[in-house]
Amino acid sequence: MTPIVPPSVARAQPSRRAVLTGVAGLAGLGLLTLAGCAPDRRTPTIPEAAATGTAAQGGRLRIARPAASAAETLDSASSLSAYEYLGALYNRLVRLDEQGVTVPDLAEDWSATPDGTVWTFKLRAGVRFHDGRPFTAADAIYTIEHILDPETASPQGEVLAAMIAPGSMSAPDPLTLRIPLLTANAEFPSLLTAYQCYVIPEGSAEPGDGPGIGRTGIGTGPFRLSSFEPAGTGSVEAFEDHFAGRPVLDGIDFYSIQDTTARVNALLAGQIDLISQTNLDYATAQVVSASSTATVARSTNAQWYTIPMLFTSDEFSDARVRQAMKLAYDPRTIVDTALQGTGSPGWDNPVPPTQAVFLDEQREHDPDKARFLLKEAGREGLRTSIYTSSYESVFTPLAVAYRDAVKDAGIDLVVRNASSDSYYTQIWMQQPLMVSYWFTGRPIDQLLNQIFRTGSSYNESAWSNPTFDQLLDSARAEMNDDRRRMLYQDAQRVVVEDSADMTPMFGDRLVGLSREVVNYSEYGFEFDYLSIGLRA
Amino acid sequence: MTATTTTTALLVLRRLGTALLTVLLASFFVFFAVQLLPGDVAQQLLGQDATPEALATVRASLGLDENVWVRYGSWLLGAATGDFGTSLVSGEPVGPDLLVAFRNSMLIAVPAMVVGVVVSLTLGVVAGVRRGRPADHAISLVSLVVMSVPEFMVATILVLLFAVAIPIFPAVVLRGDSATVAELLPAVWLPVIVLTLAMAAYIVRTARSSTIDVMAGEFVTTAELKGLTTRQVVWRHAVPSALLPTLTVVALNVAWLLGGVVVVENVFNYPGLGKLMLESVFNRDLPTIQAIAVVSALVYVVCNLAADLVALALDPRLRTRRKARS
Repeated sequence: MTPIVPPSVARAQPSRRAVLTGVAGLAGLGLLTLAGCAPDRRTPTIPEAAATGTAAQGGRLRIARPAASAAETLDSASSLSAYEYLGALYNRLVRLDEQGVTVPDLAEDWSATPDGTVWTFKLRAGVRFHDGRPFTAADAIYTIEHILDPETASPQGEVLAAMIAPGSMSAPDPLTLRIPLLTANAEFPSLLTAYQCYVIPEGSAEPGDGPGIGRTGIGTGPFRLSSFEPAGTGSVEAFEDHFAGRPVLDGIDFYSIQDTTARVNALLAGQIDLISQTNLDYATAQVVSASSTATVARSTNAQWYTIPMLFTSDEFSDARVRQAMKLAYDPRTIVDTALQGTGSPGWDNPVPPTQAVFLDEQREHDPDKARFLLKEAGREGLRTSIYTSSYESVFTPLAVAYRDAVKDAGIDLVVRNASSDSYYTQIWMQQPLMVSYWFTGRPIDQLLNQIFRTGSSYNESAWSNPTFDQLLDSARAEMNDDRRRMLYQDAQRVVVEDSADMTPMFGDRLVGLSREVVNYSEYGFEFDYLSIGLRA
Repeated sequence: MTATTTTTALLVLRRLGTALLTVLLASFFVFFAVQLLPGDVAQQLLGQDATPEALATVRASLGLDENVWVRYGSWLLGAATGDFGTSLVSGEPVGPDLLVAFRNSMLIAVPAMVVGVVVSLTLGVVAGVRRGRPADHAISLVSLVVMSVPEFMVATILVLLFAVAIPIFPAVVLRGDSATVAELLPAVWLPVIVLTLAMAAYIVRTARSSTIDVMAGEFVTTAELKGLTTRQVVWRHAVPSALLPTLTVVALNVAWLLGGVVVVENVFNYPGLGKLMLESVFNRDLPTIQAIAVVSALVYVVCNLAADLVALALDPRLRTRRKARS
């Protein structure tokens, strides 16, 4: 069963998880404070950064994770991959750095023909898979073909299939990979940074007999698999022959805990060291950071919150109304009320401020102009509903904060709470106004093409703007990095001015972890498995 | 063979028949309720973008193109022999997983049941006999409070007290479905206490009020006037009569345990029937949901049957009245 939900959401936040947390989580929290677990009466502050320092050599980290489903697999190409294992077990050809720039992983260098239609990747020499086989271009080709295979139904399959014809890739020598594209794309390497693109050994997805990659997890990553049960427990052990050196830890044990409250309780009781893929709500984060055994670290700007206005609806097909909805609010107040400051304002630009291509221009906040535009559009005193649900802990605070913020412009919104179970099947892309979110970490080309381009299946506001689409095509064809960055910035400008998907803010993911953990670092879909360790 | 034993045997048989019929009806409703769910199973499995050919293939492989009565029949036959079909999510047979989950749930439900019933009956009788005295006030107040606090709150408080503040017990079960009984043992205590507390309150209240009723009865006064000690009056005459109305409440509570474990098991990440049920619902794993529903119905019916039979054994009136009518 594949519900139609944003890929990040589907992966990282299987709906049942959120449903469970909704009731139990909130009520449990009131109690946490009641029971005197927060001995500090002053408002505890949530740490800005994770603890760093010298880690003890060795040790085992215990991670609690919400499992995707009983059908989960270690095949990263699948939509049911067990995400937390992937970064430990595998490498990709390329990955993203914190500024969103494509940097080497298994590929050391890459270049394209001047027209950007044929890409050549130089692969790292001397890399070995966990079973001892050397890594070559044949494995890379096999990995990409596996993602392209319609049978795999990989979320990244559609994106890559638009670029690569099956069977067209070649390996001039064992450490060179040549990929001819169907159309020029200057940003092509960035599309291989997705977490579906982890490199697997040739033939591993359909072995004649024995378990496939979904159970063996054989990759080139810093850890090798020692056990794995879908939706159960699993362990990985340090891989001594990893090309970037041995990881600090001896191993990691993964445990599946579906209920958020249970995950937090396990952390507080010292049964686990880290809660992965869980954005603690602010109250829980306060309780956790006040405890003597656990604390909170932030994955900065990890959550990209959006307010899609359905472009096909009566009210929001009018550009003036969309503009008024933006001018009417100041995102800084939303960050303060909905996130208690644990995030940064978005000013309706979907690109996080930390990214290299970020357009550093702030739109104005002008309720009077918003009022005027609405009047001009014949929609003075616009009255409609904004949908929210307990799917994610920030949704309702965001909807309420937005409703309050646009009152000055005479916009009258009614906040409606929908069932979190069916939020992404019955409300998303169907109701004119709602709140939603994605994980940040998409490369710029994929971000703009997937969420904003006309007709894309993840275009949650159904917005369509030919100028914008044209800009994306020009950017793909532009091989000069500076000029391409300017094109992407022009595209961001169009999104801010005209798009139907507002970006009020980027939220920091509040991650619960033990005070013993040092050098935790996570951004986008990158988790540093090499340096994380336990305090010496 | 006397006439009384024959009628009693007949009565028991009749109750057994009704129980069997109830389970059958439950299975019928469960099966057809699932059939009535909006959209068909193949569509749910494959998502909205599924091609018609793929849908047809899945329908055929699930046997969905067959007559619904035929499917019900074969499902029922399978269920009767412990074969509940194959999970739509994991692709494994439902039976073994269900059995493990059921065993794990029993591991917390049975101790909770035994301890809960014994302790709460005792407390209820004590409160009833000492009506209006400090002991009664204390017992009544505590049971009222426990009754009004939802079990996940009790669970959270207990976790904070006995797993976080004073780390005696683990807060959650880390090793999910694969945990062995030995691995589960350290973790069963908190769930057992939560279930016991949640269940005990109701039984205490009922036992108390029926004891009060019985103690006001004429036969108790007679016994007292005969010069028996209070202890003798209470334990020989009052308690057996007071237990009867409580029995039904006990049976209902035991059945309720199955529902109560859903919340409690999730808070403790305990790999029992309740957690399996919740996961199957979220995954739309219909065969597993059906199987759990039937097992729950079975437990419910068995508990009530047991209560009826015990009542029959305790109360001669239930037997004689029957006899008079027939």
